[in-house]
Amino acid sequence: MMVSQVKIRKWGLALLFCLSIVACAKAQEFRFTTNVSSTRVAQDEPFQIQFMLENAPNVSSFQPPALNDFEVMQGPSQVQGQSIFNGRRSEYIALIYVIQPKRVGNFTIAGATARVNGNIVRSNPVTIEVVKSPHGAAQAAPSSPQPGFVPRRAPGQVDEEVSDGILRKGEDVNTKLRKNIFLKVDVDKTSLYEGEQLTATYKLYTRLPTNSSVTRVPAFKGFSAKDVELPNPPQATTERVNGQLFKVFTIRKTLLFPLQSGTLELDPVEVDNQVRLVKLVNDNNRKRPRDIFEDFFNDPGFRDPFSDPFFDDFFNRPEVTYEDVPYKIQSTPVKITVKPLPVDTRPLSFNGAVGNFSMNATIDKTSLTTDDALTLKVVVAGQGNVNLLNSPKINIPGSFEKYDPKITDNIDKNSNQLSGSRQFEFALMPLEAGEHTIPPVEFSYFDPAAQAYKTIRSKSFTIKVSPGKQNKQVKEDFSVDKNVLIPVRKAPLNWVKNTGFIIGSFWYWLLLLIPVLALVAGILYRRKIHYQRVNADMLRHRYANKAALKRLELAARYLKEGKDRAFYEETSRAVWGYLSHKLQIPFADLNKQLVQDRLASRHINGQNTHQLFELLDNCEMALYAPMHSNDRMQGTYQQAVKVISQLEDELKTKKELI
Amino acid sequence: MSAIRYIVTLLLLLGIGSVEAQNATQQQYEKAYQLYQQNKYSEAAAAYQQLIDQGYSLPELYFNAGNAYYKSNRTGLAVYNYEKALRLDPGHEAAAHNLALANQRVQGFTDELPLLFFQKWWQQWEHLHSPNGWAIGSIFLFWILVAGILVYLLAERFATQVLRVGIGVIGALAVIYSFMSVYTWKTAKNHDIGIVMNSGIKAKPGPDPGGKDLFELNEGMKVAVLDATEDYCKIELADGKTGWISCNEVKRL
Repeated sequence: MMVSQVKIRKWGLALLFCLSIVACAKAQEFRFTTNVSSTRVAQDEPFQIQFMLENAPNVSSFQPPALNDFEVMQGPSQVQGQSIFNGRRSEYIALIYVIQPKRVGNFTIAGATARVNGNIVRSNPVTIEVVKSPHGAAQAAPSSPQPGFVPRRAPGQVDEEVSDGILRKGEDVNTKLRKNIFLKVDVDKTSLYEGEQLTATYKLYTRLPTNSSVTRVPAFKGFSAKDVELPNPPQATTERVNGQLFKVFTIRKTLLFPLQSGTLELDPVEVDNQVRLVKLVNDNNRKRPRDIFEDFFNDPGFRDPFSDPFFDDFFNRPEVTYEDVPYKIQSTPVKITVKPLPVDTRPLSFNGAVGNFSMNATIDKTSLTTDDALTLKVVVAGQGNVNLLNSPKINIPGSFEKYDPKITDNIDKNSNQLSGSRQFEFALMPLEAGEHTIPPVEFSYFDPAAQAYKTIRSKSFTIKVSPGKQNKQVKEDFSVDKNVLIPVRKAPLNWVKNTGFIIGSFWYWLLLLIPVLALVAGILYRRKIHYQRVNADMLRHRYANKAALKRLELAARYLKEGKDRAFYEETSRAVWGYLSHKLQIPFADLNKQLVQDRLASRHINGQNTHQLFELLDNCEMALYAPMHSNDRMQGTYQQAVKVISQLEDELKTKKELI
Repeated sequence: MSAIRYIVTLLLLLGIGSVEAQNATQQQYEKAYQLYQQNKYSEAAAAYQQLIDQGYSLPELYFNAGNAYYKSNRTGLAVYNYEKALRLDPGHEAAAHNLALANQRVQGFTDELPLLFFQKWWQQWEHLHSPNGWAIGSIFLFWILVAGILVYLLAERFATQVLRVGIGVIGALAVIYSFMSVYTWKTAKNHDIGIVMNSGIKAKPGPDPGGKDLFELNEGMKVAVLDATEDYCKIELADGKTGWISCNEVKRL
């Protein structure tokens, strides 16, 4: 923030100072000048014109020029005085008019003429540009002070010479503000290379007492900015613009480094001003016609009734008042053309440095053990974007562990051209014993003056690393030297290509399937044998049944016909026939005892034999004691079938076992 | 039985048939060795890699390739090849030693826990045969088992107690071999362990490049891949940290 303080003093006193300074500068030279308060005025705006004759010894006539295009509002008032400055005395006579233009256009006011020592001298002509009066809408000055704006008034530096804080009658506030306060951006170049330095200075020009604060600072998009420290409180300088003296305050001075190419814009700075204007309140009853004589006899300090509040108060003349007028101004944005750095000639090691540099690389030791660390120090010094320097790329061999560099800056403060040095310290840990070489460190930069890349290369470093006592990182102790790589071997190998996995392949499943099939086949075979064996028994039984039924075929017919005697005869004959056939006994020899013996010899006895004899007994009984009963015949028949079937079975199985 | 004999002869025939190819390969292998000796490490690594790409998968070859990569300053590939050698042969001491050396170059390397005694036994047991060895063994035992069962079933004369015990033992062995063949096959096919190939990779909380950075991965780190989408892999470090990174950054073992 910058605050300007200008204090109002008597206008006449200001004039005196002005004159004395001019007198001082020009010693006791003769001078005849025309001064105007403003060279560009609105149509109905009054302004001051002053013809000043300095150190003129013998003035016999003093003739103002014709002011045809202007209306004289006040004057002429004549001022005569003398000043002593640094022991030198100078005298002056001045004619002052307050005039107002009648028309719009450019007018040249010819100089006044005077006869000095008998010679006619002429002051310089002045060109006045009269513009249309901007009444109303065009003016956009804020009417009320900004909230949050804290005016700070401190007795500070006063420069009477540039103070113009009086709002004269008929003067438009906005026009006056516009003419007397403005911002300006100074850049040292508008076209430059990427990374090259640009100095931008934001300045506030003022002729009014103002209390100013910066409300918006530029962001400098696309730039890397480094501010130059400014004195605090701000120091004002004076500068002459269009013949008028301005007090100049530097708001901001920045060293800029464009980070990208293209057209970049410096943002405007915005300043809020509280301008203190002195204003006439009640001028009609006090205003007196001003004649030359009164002015002549009055002290210059007394002469202007509008100027000095102190005097006004002192003499109890309340026609003058202050007004704080808020006024917001903005600088015009500045366009900067940034050229890209050439690409085709760019070296590999280029890292964004632009300027003029030197580089120095050193190592702190050339022989060490694996327990120690090595420091590689790279210092880049020179003019340019020192604050943006990147670490030069270093190709550290794999036998070293590299850590991120430690960066130390040493940048000269408040130099117009940024310069200094940046130091990169790389700590290197040897991992392997042996002799290692660190390749040269390479640093490239772009020299905008020569418009070419330049490369600096250090020498390479040879470092001898001996094995250390212990290594922090290896916990296990290997039989071979633990920090030495076991080298490659060349013993012949069995070069068998990886054929893929057997499991899951066709062969795998096939080889598994074959025994499974074999197993299934075996089981089936076994089952077939078993089945056949069981089936033979079943068939034989069926055959036995069939044989019995065949022998009892006739008996079955008699049973149906109800011939009981024939039935029993036939049944008895069938059973005896069967036994004779099976036991191979001649029919004539058949008797129960023999049958029983033969059956016993074939291990057939018990239930079957008993049933057999019961059946034979039943048949004999029925033959000799006939009693007709169909049920009984039926029972006998079934018993006969059963007995014969069972005997058949038994005889077959027992025969096999023997 | 005859099928196994057939396979064995087939393999032998293949071996004999490629004797010349073997000689050429051995020459290339020795050429790579020469390049290494002449300190042309990148060329040596390329030569070894060529052999690997041809389909030779031998621990010694991976070990040599790892050395060449180590010397040519490509820590990620060096670690990868040493790990590969150790995967094929956990008892490869030279590879284990050089892997430890290579891991010193890995920034942020966290050591894995050493294996417990039974884990070591299991590992030795696992590597008793190659996956294919286990598979062949299981087939062989299966044939013997089936033959025994058939004898037992069909020739009642030999259906004795001795044969029953023999069938039981062979059956148990066949089951063990089958299990091991499937297990080692699964293990060999498992690519859930990977090596990070580039440095400065930021792990994210989800499979999305916009997430905040959880931690940084550096070249040569060994990670377990837990989950994966098409582009992103969820990885776990040896110290238990998990995060998502691009799958391209991980070379799976």
